[in-house]
Amino acid sequence: MIETLKQTAKKAVEALKNEGAEKGESTVTYTVKHEFNVDGGEFSLFRTLFDKKMTMSAITGGKRGAISQNRYDDASIAESAKACMAAADASAPDEAWDIAPQIKNEDFTLGEVKPDLDKLFLRCRELMETIKTRFPKIIVEQMIIDHNETFEAFANSNGALFSTHKGNYFAELMFSGHEGEKATSFYVSILTTEDLDRPFIECGSIENDLANVEKQIDTESVDGKFEGTMVLMPLCSLELIGGLLMNFAGDQGLLTGTSPWKEKLGEQVADERLTISIAPLDGRIVCGERITGEGFPAENYDLIKNGRLNAFALSLYSANKLGLPRAKNDSDNIIIEAGDKPLDEIIASIDRGILVGRFSGGAPAPNGDFSGVAKNSFLIENGKIGPALSETMISGNFAEMLFRLRGVSKEQIAAGLFVLPYLAFDGITISGK
Amino acid sequence: MIQDLLTNKKHLFADGANTELRAQRNTNRQVVLLNGNLVNNMQKDQFGVSARVYENGVYGFSSTAEYTDETVKEVLKAASENAAFLARHAGKGKGLFRPEKPGRIIRAYDLTEIEQRTYIEFASALDSYIAQKYPDLLSRTVVAMADSMEKLLCVSNGCDGHSVLPRSYILVIMNYPTPEGKPVELMKIFGGCGTFDQNFRKPEECYAGIDELYDRIRQKAEGVYPEAGNKTVILGGELSGMLAHEAVGHTVEADLVIGGSVAGPNLHKRVGSELVNLTDFAHTAFGKPAPLPVYVDDEGVEATDAVLIKDGVLVGYMNNRDSAERFGMVPTGNARAYLFSDEPLIRMRNTAVLPGTSKLADMIASIDDGYYLLESNNGQADTTGEFMYGVTFGYEIKKGKLGRALLDTTVSGVAFDMLKTVDMISDDMTWVSAGMCGKKQPMPVGMGGPAIRCRITIGGR
Repeated sequence: MIETLKQTAKKAVEALKNEGAEKGESTVTYTVKHEFNVDGGEFSLFRTLFDKKMTMSAITGGKRGAISQNRYDDASIAESAKACMAAADASAPDEAWDIAPQIKNEDFTLGEVKPDLDKLFLRCRELMETIKTRFPKIIVEQMIIDHNETFEAFANSNGALFSTHKGNYFAELMFSGHEGEKATSFYVSILTTEDLDRPFIECGSIENDLANVEKQIDTESVDGKFEGTMVLMPLCSLELIGGLLMNFAGDQGLLTGTSPWKEKLGEQVADERLTISIAPLDGRIVCGERITGEGFPAENYDLIKNGRLNAFALSLYSANKLGLPRAKNDSDNIIIEAGDKPLDEIIASIDRGILVGRFSGGAPAPNGDFSGVAKNSFLIENGKIGPALSETMISGNFAEMLFRLRGVSKEQIAAGLFVLPYLAFDGITISGK
Repeated sequence: MIQDLLTNKKHLFADGANTELRAQRNTNRQVVLLNGNLVNNMQKDQFGVSARVYENGVYGFSSTAEYTDETVKEVLKAASENAAFLARHAGKGKGLFRPEKPGRIIRAYDLTEIEQRTYIEFASALDSYIAQKYPDLLSRTVVAMADSMEKLLCVSNGCDGHSVLPRSYILVIMNYPTPEGKPVELMKIFGGCGTFDQNFRKPEECYAGIDELYDRIRQKAEGVYPEAGNKTVILGGELSGMLAHEAVGHTVEADLVIGGSVAGPNLHKRVGSELVNLTDFAHTAFGKPAPLPVYVDDEGVEATDAVLIKDGVLVGYMNNRDSAERFGMVPTGNARAYLFSDEPLIRMRNTAVLPGTSKLADMIASIDDGYYLLESNNGQADTTGEFMYGVTFGYEIKKGKLGRALLDTTVSGVAFDMLKTVDMISDDMTWVSAGMCGKKQPMPVGMGGPAIRCRITIGGR
């Protein structure tokens, strides 16, 4: 299969050149997915998908066009090459468009490429039974557990030629706690794993998440408004900080010129205890990217190193446009370095604040202002975790918040696609009804 | 149009199962001009066939990107085997669904292929207009986009269908600095159901909307943060539509009711003031085509309106065939799939708060100290009914008159509490349809509403 896909990708690049492209690239993918679904606590669906994808892009005279479709027979390749070139012809020239040079062509095999479906089903059933026994107040609204086998080949007109064959298991649980007519907010746990050696309940943060949600059935609200410390649970850090980082360090914020960090490369943008890496090759990341979407070999990099802005997360186009280095990978495998204090010690140091499980907020403003509802959260008072909260809003500014770091926990959650600690920030506005 | 390779496979459907075969093509076209640079110039097509088989209370599903007589038979076989596997291990002892009205609903036609050049030239014309007229912007983005969904459906005991649903939009996004130099952002969306050439004839037709967007971003740049707390506000139609979709709509999707949503214990109870009525329209609303009409769903149910709240009382859910039987309700055609490789889920179509009798001007005049909230960039809701929206544009109301514009803020509340505070509803309607609802799969949906006066928690800064 891999050899066929490599030949297909090369054929697609040749077709672009035959249509007059000066530079061309193509990615060809074949995926097989097996997926079990649970709805309302009961198995509901077993599905098997066979899918294809081919992307092609062409550059001629600085003009670029791109196309994506799920067929790659000879006729479809020829037709797509024509459409891709027509799109390029219609565009304005921009010298920032380019493709990757040939560096080192490689073939990668990652993870458990073939699924053990019987074992996968048994692990699903085991998880459902464990939840019913150990967390009787939890209703699993939906659970999706699947195995994905992916064959992918990349080729470009500079001679770059890569392939990846990988397989991994993925679990997503959406659940809430219930007692009579009382119900908690829903929570979503996610996990990616290479194998089925351990029960799902022991992986990632699933057990901890279920236990936390069961404690949220009875809630209180915060009286009025105060400035306090916000402790983000690891999955919430991914949601809040991951999104804000891309606003500040990604293509959009830098190309529009609205990012407050546009002139800050090499400067201090956060407390020196904060180091954030994008690291698909880290051993704790499952089946991480080996080839970027643009055809470069993927490398880990530090976005923020000891509080200093070390790199931007830029595509090749944006990097050329802005005269800055491109990102060394385009994954979202975020790793935040652990701190030296256990979570308990950080909590014990807080007079008044909030432990946030999930953030439900509007898209952050370009200037870093954010505000939203703190979901699945607990009050922190006098160094202790207090009652669960409802209808509590939090707001702050991302750029300012990163300098008000109270602590980074020693504990980290590794869930396959990310490795994250608990993060505590001072100076957050917390308001109740 | 998709060739029919499905109808002649009906003889392969098993007697003891409900079976659906669906061939589907999705297309997406998008060009993005950022400060005049074409940063995206993309065409995307996805086409294939799937089968779903219901047996003993569980489903088996399979799909493939190849569409031939052989692959149709293959996905049918694979879906049957998957259903049998799950039925063997986790069957629920259920029989077939109640039969649905048989028939065949055709709403399909050939979509004209529009050259990518058309999108680029139209977006470039708008970009040039903005660049020349408004050089003081921090940045400008113009997006021209179109998508379509063609579905050919063949089912074992219901209604077959063939439909096409095209949408096309222009998005204009502006950034402008506040006096302190911080950027603020606003977006305007043009377009709706229909192909790009049907919705956009001349760039000049968008100029007035662009001018209004620029006026608003200038006002916003000089704006203030609202005072945080529980306030009397008027939610404009865009926000009341989002309320209908996010805060109420999701909680009354029957799969989320089964999962424990707040709508479960509230059926047939008062959840809003007597002024509040809320319906998920299938294809026609107030005598006109709904923004994104659905005529038959992907389980073969002819689509009809789902009345959800009547005179403030929760009267129904949105169902698929399975949940309708569980709740003793009539399915109204809410089971929809996004791609050929997606299984149908319970989804909204065109969900709206119904208009009332008040005039907007009277509603504004009635408020001594509050806010008029007009635009949002996103919203989220919980199965508990707790919701939040990001508000990107609005005004203070002071002594019955509009005051200063607002900077970005957030509003939140609990739907079934907040709806009880609704005491005025305007007699007009605003619909939006450019967004995608996210629930395992994306899905184009319409949402709408009038202006409503209510109490809500506003975040301030």
